[in-house]
Amino acid sequence: MISQEFDFEAPSALPEALALLARHGDDATLLSGGMSLMPMTTLGLVQPGMIISLNHIAELDYVREDGNELRIGALTRHADVAADPLIGAHAALLAEAASLIGDVQVRNRGTIGGSIAHADPAANYLPAMLALGARLRLQSEAGERSVEAKDFVKGIMTTAIETGEMLTEIAIPKLAAGTGCSYQRLVRVEGNFAIVIAAAITEPGRKAARVGLGNVAPGPVLVDVSGHLGNGLDDAALAAIGDAAFDAAAEAASDLAGDANYRREMARVFARRAVQSATDAADAG
Amino acid sequence: MKKSIEVTVNGKSQSVEVDTRMVLADMLRENLRLTGTHIGCGTGSCGACTVMLDGRTVKSCSVLAADADGRSVQTVEGLSTSAVSLHPVQEAMVENQGLQCGYCTPGMVLSAVELLNKNPDPTEDEIRHGIAGNLCRCTGYHFVVTSIQAAAKSMKEGA
Repeated sequence: MISQEFDFEAPSALPEALALLARHGDDATLLSGGMSLMPMTTLGLVQPGMIISLNHIAELDYVREDGNELRIGALTRHADVAADPLIGAHAALLAEAASLIGDVQVRNRGTIGGSIAHADPAANYLPAMLALGARLRLQSEAGERSVEAKDFVKGIMTTAIETGEMLTEIAIPKLAAGTGCSYQRLVRVEGNFAIVIAAAITEPGRKAARVGLGNVAPGPVLVDVSGHLGNGLDDAALAAIGDAAFDAAAEAASDLAGDANYRREMARVFARRAVQSATDAADAG
Repeated sequence: MKKSIEVTVNGKSQSVEVDTRMVLADMLRENLRLTGTHIGCGTGSCGACTVMLDGRTVKSCSVLAADADGRSVQTVEGLSTSAVSLHPVQEAMVENQGLQCGYCTPGMVLSAVELLNKNPDPTEDEIRHGIAGNLCRCTGYHFVVTSIQAAAKSMKEGA
């Protein structure tokens, strides 16, 4: 039993949820999978005046194709993201990110929208979202807008979501054939939050490459390393990619898992590794 | 705040009045007296409270009871009809000493059932990944893995 009091609503349709959110503003906290919110509420780390559960809004649980994009409903569970055939075919980087979250039970319950909106600096999706060029759809009772993943995080666990808004959908451009991707995490114990994440994409013919870094700054960091690919992926190119990641990790924080310098060095190693592995994957076809 | 929910537990549909601050594990243990679902950490780490929600394992300390409205829950009590007719996973745990104190066991059993439902012939590595969300402080996991391997074998032979 959670000791603190809160009101509870479980709307079954999105307009109803948005109306509740408009009425209760910052007093309301949205609950989806609850993999962070539930322990935080149990421990008293957050004091929601009202919890609005989204778990009964079936219309927010989907993966579909829309032209050159995939559209993923915010309530899609990690296990479904990891196993979805459309995501596997057109955004494999995302499936990989989902498959490495927590453990079986967490993946069965936690949702993509919940994880992104919570914006834990060490969480799996956002580095992949940056590399993939995802857009996030924010809806409120008054209307809606779309935010680029790279502009979404404003600080530690602070996002572009305004009072009354809800993250409802993630849109991801489909990867072209011949794209290489690789998702690399430094983690001591499987299922833990990562110490450093590097999610790399190399475009067909190695015309461009970018790396989304995680847990090396208050939010995810996108590093464009296209300029280093001119002479193929030789040692000098890999060294330059590593340097770019090290520089991009200048705001890395220290904690019990590693100090800031260690994180920056690991950003160097994992970015290099991710680009190499993405290139290898593209070459292997 | 009280809320009346309709929930199917171990195949039986019922109406339960819950406090909205209750987690699913509280409802199972306190309202329904299904004390096979254990609460360890209470914060989603240890997996002792694992139950099936609509056929998939979840940690019932991290799901609000009110959110189980309209859903189907299976607990360890729903796996077997009596102490002498155990589920093959339970049988294998007994035969292979896959438990010591038993606190993690109901959750461990449900994770093993979920794994074998999806993958009837798992490798040792797949078994270890399958139970990664269930902490055991006694066995060192080795006999748990042996038990799940034995259960897979007996379920295949029984099928």
